[in-house]
Amino acid sequence: MKIALYEKAKHAVRFWLLRRLPACKETVEIVSQSFERQLSLRERITVKLHFWICVWCQWYMEHLRLLRQTLRAKSTETSDMDSSLSPGLSIDARERIKRRLSSGE
Amino acid sequence: MSEAQVTAKTAVGDFSIWVDQYGDYLFKYAVFRLRDSAAAEDVVQETFLAALRGYERFQGRGSERTWLVGILKHKITDHYRKITREAPLGQGEEDEGPEHAEFFTRSDGWDNHWNNNYAPTEWHATPDQLVEQSDFWRVFHDCLAPLPPRTATAFTFREVDGLKSEEICEILGVSTNNLWVMLHRARLHLRNCLEMKWFKLSAGTRQK
Repeated sequence: MKIALYEKAKHAVRFWLLRRLPACKETVEIVSQSFERQLSLRERITVKLHFWICVWCQWYMEHLRLLRQTLRAKSTETSDMDSSLSPGLSIDARERIKRRLSSGE
Repeated sequence: MSEAQVTAKTAVGDFSIWVDQYGDYLFKYAVFRLRDSAAAEDVVQETFLAALRGYERFQGRGSERTWLVGILKHKITDHYRKITREAPLGQGEEDEGPEHAEFFTRSDGWDNHWNNNYAPTEWHATPDQLVEQSDFWRVFHDCLAPLPPRTATAFTFREVDGLKSEEICEILGVSTNNLWVMLHRARLHLRNCLEMKWFKLSAGTRQK
């Protein structure tokens, strides 16, 4: 009984917040900017509260973080860069560059 | 490397060995950032020519490949600076990328909140796993392709190379606000595209 009441109250608070906080569309924009600049205190609080009621935006933030980590790791990875993506320098280009190099300029 | 060795190397003209040794690596590095094979071949060629001219200054300090990549990075930013000079940003009508308004359109009075069809789902992946999977990178490039070139470039400079905002703004000739809009649109688009074409499909099969 007590638990049911608590759940009801929690739901009401969430609903109230959801109607008053910036919506998801605006929140993901702020989330994106959090990767570019220091958010203001007000922005940090609204985003935190929004995350509390919206797991979707929380995942959005996690996904952006994962993407950044993955891409940074990729950029420094030295071996085996995407043989799937491009087979490498074509024979034509290779020969052309060699000719330019041996002609001295 | 001694001075005599440097001279010997220049004399026999075995710089062309570099092309076999490092050509593929440099080319892939460039393609990843330029998304254009012809342009990538050009910057690789310019890199080798600049390396030939500047070899005395290098004198075997550190690894040759690291040195060449350093030159290549400059050639890539120069390439974009040139594009910016030739085609400066239009007045207001610039396409920063798809707005994807449909992601936040609902018919139940909760407009501007995620539409259920586009709402993020949980991903189960770590950077280490993703870096290894060449299929993921193919999907990544397919997802990047529909973005306007300037937006895709801003995204790779920021997220792959970790360049500072001011530097990217200068190279691409955009304002900070412009850049933030571009990055936001790129992220919105890419995140969704990767989810549809990779993470949703990989949930059952690839992940163990």
